[in-house]
Amino acid sequence: MSALLEVNNLSIEIANTTLLSSISFQINNGDYLCVLGSNGAGKSTLLKALLGIINPTSGDILIQQQTLSQLSQKQRAQQISYVPQAHGPQLDFTVIDFIKMSRYAHHTALSDWASDDQDAFEKAIAITDTESFLQRQMQTLSGGEQQRIMIAAALCQQSPLLLLDEPTSFLDPHYQAEVHQLILKLNQQHGISVIEVSHDLNHAVQHSSSILALKNGAKMWFGAASEFLETEHVHTLYDQQFVFAKHPQTGAKIALVSETL
Amino acid sequence: MTSNRRATLFFIALATLIIVVGSPFLGLSHATSVEIQQHILNEIRLPRMLFAFIAGAGLSLCGMIFQAMFRNPLATPFTLGVASGASLGAALYVFLGLSFSFIGIDGTSFSAFIGALLSISFVYYLSRFHSHFSTETLLLTGVAISFFFSSLILFIQYLSNLTDSFRILRWLMGSLSTVGYHDILQLLPFVTLCVAVVLWLSRELNLLMTGDEIAISRGVNVQRIRYALFFISSLCVGAIVAVCGPIGFVGMMVPHMCRLLIGNDHRWLIPATLLFGGAFLILCDTIARLIIAPAEIPVGVITTLLGGPFFIWLLIKSKI
Repeated sequence: MSALLEVNNLSIEIANTTLLSSISFQINNGDYLCVLGSNGAGKSTLLKALLGIINPTSGDILIQQQTLSQLSQKQRAQQISYVPQAHGPQLDFTVIDFIKMSRYAHHTALSDWASDDQDAFEKAIAITDTESFLQRQMQTLSGGEQQRIMIAAALCQQSPLLLLDEPTSFLDPHYQAEVHQLILKLNQQHGISVIEVSHDLNHAVQHSSSILALKNGAKMWFGAASEFLETEHVHTLYDQQFVFAKHPQTGAKIALVSETL
Repeated sequence: MTSNRRATLFFIALATLIIVVGSPFLGLSHATSVEIQQHILNEIRLPRMLFAFIAGAGLSLCGMIFQAMFRNPLATPFTLGVASGASLGAALYVFLGLSFSFIGIDGTSFSAFIGALLSISFVYYLSRFHSHFSTETLLLTGVAISFFFSSLILFIQYLSNLTDSFRILRWLMGSLSTVGYHDILQLLPFVTLCVAVVLWLSRELNLLMTGDEIAISRGVNVQRIRYALFFISSLCVGAIVAVCGPIGFVGMMVPHMCRLLIGNDHRWLIPATLLFGGAFLILCDTIARLIIAPAEIPVGVITTLLGGPFFIWLLIKSKI
């Protein structure tokens, strides 16, 4: 089976500052990759490169064997969708308009809303259970509700790969869990491949299938999520000592910040 | 929702129709004979009204484009110094004694267009180079550009002879009192082109309002769309300013009121803005014509008098 996304020796420099150096990894259909790293490690830069906001200085990104930089922005959008951080810019739209707008990549300037658009829309609403919000204004939703709409809109785009930029930062624990469950559902039940940038170490270890750890713009570790806590990398990644415990319910190994320096 | 918007658009169209049909007949009573009334209506009022409609629609449309692109109701071609760039271009054309035309379009329009494009490039350049470019900085840049260009215009005026100086001064006030059918032809191609492009890009405008990152991830080539919109709105503002001077604040008030009335979906907002903008400028022009009749004041004075308080209201409301 060929890879869904292949990143080869990706380097990005802006104004003589190296933001990413020689990153390589690949993910297959159905994978759930978490990108971990401290602030400024290059996680957002990687995401921006995958979205086509920043062009690689060297190296290349292949999506379904096609070079990303050679695709039009619409073709990219058909392959990759995106969920931003919570509490982004004010969105002065009704929920229904906002979600429908994400069918843009499947339209030309003159095309009408067609039955496949309606199907994609209804499916996205059903999966995210957002039917009851449709007539509301985006600004009146809570952070967690907004993230569900963001996910619904990304789903409506019908791309095989979903990128999420710290989708649960700034959310309370209830909404964090809700959004995590939703992402898992998309990945496991609907076969959508996921790349999520996260600061939540335990969430990454328990929910994702693989982990990419970035430090100072370079790849520090890439492998199966279940193995990450077994390595020493977890301490060096954040320059922080961790202790480990078992989750009382699942028995999974979880990391806790060490109280002794 | 759709039926609401349809009803709103219908009422805007109805109000526009009433203004268009009614305004030329206001202030006709002093004309004694029917022939004179007929002449005033056909040769003076009608072209003036048509011109006001096209100019108002064009200015409002350009304001709408800027508000969407900068995601800020205060950002318009006037507040960002684009109109003063266009004025400078037109003033230079007069000062240098240039006289050329291209496919029937006066050279003034082209000079104004170049001026508009220059100032827009400058504002855009600045906003790109500072990644954390706040609304305040953007507007202050616009103010600075306006001041700079205004003083250049004053300088040109000072150096000009009396006739040219008066021609320049008359524009800067923004007046519709002398427009005729010829002026309509100077304007129509540009405004039509601008309307066509903006209608074509209405989905993109919607997505631009969600922010660059989301717009890009949905498949919008943000950079290219921006350039196209800057270019087309410079063309439109240039053409309008070249003929009737910088009529301020129409591009800020009209699209913002339309957003409040009909929402942010540009497929509805564009026709609403065009109609409202056209009717609004006709209304302002009628007031300018009647308020101290038989004399009249430049319409730019009226729009700016309304626009100033509106700007301050927006400023307070948006709490920047």
